[in-house]
Amino acid sequence: MANVNEGSSAADMVTCTIDGVEVSVPKGTRIIEAAEGIGLGIAHYCYHPALSAPAMCRMCLVEVEGAPKLAPACVTTVGDGQVINTESERALKAREGTLEFYLFNHPLDCPICDKSGECKLQDFVHSEGRARGRSLEAKRVLGQDDFGGDILYDGDRCIMCTRCVRFMREIGGEDALCVVQRGHRSVIDTFYDEGVGENLWAGNIVDICPVGALLSKDFLHKARVWDLDRTPSVCASCSQGCNIYLDGRDNAVARLRPRQNAEVNSYWMCDYGRYNYEWLNRQPRLESPLVGGAESAWQAAVISLVERLKALPSGTRVRVVGSAVLGNEDNGLLARLAEVVGDGEAVFRSSRAADEETCPGFPALRRRRDLAANVKGLELMGFSRVGDDEGHGGLAATAGEVLIVLGDDLADLPEGFARGTELFVHLTTHASAAASGADYVLPVTLYAEQEGTFTNADGRVQRFWPGLQPPAMARPAWQVLGVLLAGLGDGAAPADAGNAFLRVAQLHDAFAGLSYENIGARGALVNELVRLGAGAVEEG
Amino acid sequence: MAYPYRHEKETVVLTRGFGDPRTRTLEGWRALGGYKALGRALEMAPNDVIEVVKASGLRGRGGAGFPAGVKWSFMPKDDSKQPHYFLINADESEPGAFKDRELLRWTPHQVIEGALIGAHAIRARQVYIYMRGEFFEPAQIMARAIEEIYQANLAGKDILGSGVDIDVTLHLGAGAYICGEETALMNSLEGRRGQPRIKPPFPAVAGLFGKPTTINNVETVAAVPHIIVNGADWYRSFGTEKSPGTKLFNVSGHVVRRGNYELPLGFPMKEFLYDVCGGIRDGRQLKAVIPGGSSVPILTAAECEDLALDYESVAAAGSMLGTASVIVMDDRTNIVKQVRRMVEFYAHESCGQCTPCREGTEWLAKILRRIEVGQGTEEDLDTLLDLGANMTGTTICVLSDSAAAPVASSIEKFRDDYLALFGRAPEAPALAAAH
Amino acid sequence: MSSRADAPERTPLQGGNEGWAGERGEFESLSESDVRGSSYVGKRPPEGGAAGAACSYPFQVAERDPDAPLFEGPYRERLEKILSRYPEKRGALLPVLALAQELRGYVSPGTMDEVARVLELDPATVRGVATFYTMYNKRPVGSYLVQVCTNVACNLCGADDVMEAFLDAVDAAAGDTSEDGNFTIIEAECLGACGFPTAVQVNERYFENVTPEDVPAIIERLRAERGANGKEG
Repeated sequence: MANVNEGSSAADMVTCTIDGVEVSVPKGTRIIEAAEGIGLGIAHYCYHPALSAPAMCRMCLVEVEGAPKLAPACVTTVGDGQVINTESERALKAREGTLEFYLFNHPLDCPICDKSGECKLQDFVHSEGRARGRSLEAKRVLGQDDFGGDILYDGDRCIMCTRCVRFMREIGGEDALCVVQRGHRSVIDTFYDEGVGENLWAGNIVDICPVGALLSKDFLHKARVWDLDRTPSVCASCSQGCNIYLDGRDNAVARLRPRQNAEVNSYWMCDYGRYNYEWLNRQPRLESPLVGGAESAWQAAVISLVERLKALPSGTRVRVVGSAVLGNEDNGLLARLAEVVGDGEAVFRSSRAADEETCPGFPALRRRRDLAANVKGLELMGFSRVGDDEGHGGLAATAGEVLIVLGDDLADLPEGFARGTELFVHLTTHASAAASGADYVLPVTLYAEQEGTFTNADGRVQRFWPGLQPPAMARPAWQVLGVLLAGLGDGAAPADAGNAFLRVAQLHDAFAGLSYENIGARGALVNELVRLGAGAVEEG
Repeated sequence: MAYPYRHEKETVVLTRGFGDPRTRTLEGWRALGGYKALGRALEMAPNDVIEVVKASGLRGRGGAGFPAGVKWSFMPKDDSKQPHYFLINADESEPGAFKDRELLRWTPHQVIEGALIGAHAIRARQVYIYMRGEFFEPAQIMARAIEEIYQANLAGKDILGSGVDIDVTLHLGAGAYICGEETALMNSLEGRRGQPRIKPPFPAVAGLFGKPTTINNVETVAAVPHIIVNGADWYRSFGTEKSPGTKLFNVSGHVVRRGNYELPLGFPMKEFLYDVCGGIRDGRQLKAVIPGGSSVPILTAAECEDLALDYESVAAAGSMLGTASVIVMDDRTNIVKQVRRMVEFYAHESCGQCTPCREGTEWLAKILRRIEVGQGTEEDLDTLLDLGANMTGTTICVLSDSAAAPVASSIEKFRDDYLALFGRAPEAPALAAAH
Repeated sequence: MSSRADAPERTPLQGGNEGWAGERGEFESLSESDVRGSSYVGKRPPEGGAAGAACSYPFQVAERDPDAPLFEGPYRERLEKILSRYPEKRGALLPVLALAQELRGYVSPGTMDEVARVLELDPATVRGVATFYTMYNKRPVGSYLVQVCTNVACNLCGADDVMEAFLDAVDAAAGDTSEDGNFTIIEAECLGACGFPTAVQVNERYFENVTPEDVPAIIERLRAERGANGKEG
């Protein structure tokens, strides 16, 4: 017997049988949730776990023994001793019939529809619909409507599930969308020309649209979804750390989508993060290490750099500049390098927005002021912020110092700004004018090209995975830095990112006890916050 | 005085003031003994009022026929924690139904008195009369009557010195048949799209503005004052055991005298059509009858032969008494056209929430339009029946079922009318000049 | 109470009362005012009278001015009365939209926006509601909006022909406004007057027992009314 909610006392539990499987659930659990608990997905369109359930798509009708009518599984709560059948003749006939009604007006334009391949109408019709439709009537033709911002509405494909309307009302915080007209004349619309573009959360309606009625202009006809490589990742655009999928094609990010995490972002992400991905595709990339401006093999570059570092006079001032869009592993080993080489100072620059923007329907989700993913991680590892809210300034080079810059593209600085430094190393993804005279320019990977972790503003350490192939000789920074540290006699070079993380966790109390295993796919809080209790997560 | 016709077989209770403009006024209604019942009810404990109505066997006149007293008894007995609401459903819009309009415009005080008694019984301090917006004239009359009752302390604070406060508000709809469905009506009154709600929760638990609510049809509450004054036994002396009382039968279509007739439930259909209503117009033959408004299955002339007009008998004949809105069709009637027109109505009035209804009503209409102009096939009939089956019992409310009912019953009972349009009827009915 | 056992004889039209149910002789001794209740109702005040009645329409509509201020003077008073009858502001949405249409003749996007503001709703909420209901005109209509019931009870008695007759009489397609701006003819669903086919609603008035032959006279009557009131469109 399956028990999908261990820990509840027996008195609060009810037991039912769904398709022959007995299951105990807390009182008040809806049939669709109970079924989910035993791995049984009940077909649905209008239901969404994070939204109210209007029970109007009529897809989730199931047979409850003894009930005269089929019951909508999305709103019917489980009764003790109930026998529920999702595959009975009546339930199957109802689904087949309802699917046929959907196709009465829905165009069969899957070959040109962006949703094709992840369309729930396509899925359910293929699995349970009639092999041939019976309609001889002309379908209605409404055409497309620009909803403003990134959103395009294709009225012909709309199945009127109203998820988008409810999302805007319940999560987006305003009735920006409405059903206009009624009956078969119903369409979704905004308030005339007003559009939804002003709403920071509007992009989510494209994700939750079960069909191709709501389209992203940005993604329009860009890729067939089955050609996309989907990688679980974390959004790097602010310190909230929304869990995302990074969908790539031809080794470029084609779109970002939220990945559910009940602690961080529910099912949502903001539009700022969603559309801020072109920097991951920016070309040309730095492909080869440069030593004194000349291309070099990695081995030669590393050996000579280790020699340079070893030869530094004692007391040489070392300054490392970390990157808030690279992982704890990368930055942690960078900070370590500063310690090993000498009297180190660790700083970072990162842009900040004037205000936070809170998601009205899920207040834990905020577009944070810090517009980079790992500011908290940097701070926990002793980096201090320099520069202004644009992420500029604060990096004037001092003669005689060692300057090691990771990730920061130094865009605000002039060519030759580091002239006079003892040693200038730039670990970077793109060539930069300011670093053209650097002693070492070493190609590293973007976070999207490597494994690693970010620490979000609430102290949650979250893993990301490589979704793109790095160019040519680019290497993850933790690897480059790990080899340098090994060369300097500070331990063995980490074999993989998990190893690098363990190394960092040993160096910084905040991460003590954490490992890739216990961080898992959902993230784990750093110790500091664990000690303070969960209340600390909800600052302010 | 006649409204528009009076027949000696009528039992005149609710329709007493019809055709007499004096009855409209507070003075005129009082002259007929009006508001005595309210006075008496206010002296009774709410539960006792409920018991009397329960004992009378009064059944809801809005179509479903649910016992009114039983419905009232579902309300919580304690109104100290949250307000209760009493709603009067005056959204009469079922094709064929025109009884509430007459009650409202001839006897506004009868309706208001019943509403006040009902509100007292269920401990509501606010009555909303939700009237369809097209009823401008009845609305003006009701508005005037409401002004009169406030002036006469029959509404507002401390009604007739009883200590009971009840406000009465007239609320107009704005053109949506579906708002006659009780939960759609509540949504509409709350300023929302008139979409039916999922039940549970039932209105007595969470209705208007989420508060315990009872809703009754105009004709139902109009009967209440008479029951309070004359007693449950008196009311039961009319009609049948299971369908007691009198009922307004509103007849339209091809009879000689269309109109509203108040008859005891159980009255024979044949006598009703041929005597009370004067038979079929122009000396034609009866072809079909829709006994309870357009939402119920059609009956053939033969099925009407021995039919009694009460809830049970009509149900046993395979249809429903509904609002007792009898639509009569003579032998020239093009059934397919009328069914098409009814289905178009449901397509127009579907709220559009549930897919089987939103798409199904329009699909049925499109097929029927095609058949009507001679482009149908027998296969279409099978499709119509199966679509109808898929639309039945699969939606939140019964509008979808209502749209399918006339289609299914007409195909079953008047198949030849369809076949004629395919050029395949054994005996093609003459439809050329028919409506 | 008298009983009429005979089929109704059609009384010839006698001018002035065309299209009113009474002219067919069904209300022998009653005047139009008796049947319509207009003498009982009197003139409804623009501020709505008793609050319980203020959520319905005043009878005398309507200089329709698309730019009329919405919630000023007596109409502000009516708005306050309407609001007092609902525990939540939103409840007042239907009556307030009706008030707006009474003044302006139709509900424009701008009007929806104003209504949204006064009820503290999002404009799209108001649009969703306003478009659900057929009685809110979403675009300007003629001085007389003529709604012909063609549903089953009227249809059995020739409503389609009545509809045709109206369209012919004003020379406009269904839903369009006649050239003189006076008439917009539309098909309506059941008006709840099935015993008096064909039922036709002209603005706030019902015309009943209308036959195609009555239509030209009804149109003439309305035109004359319009002329007499000095509101030539």
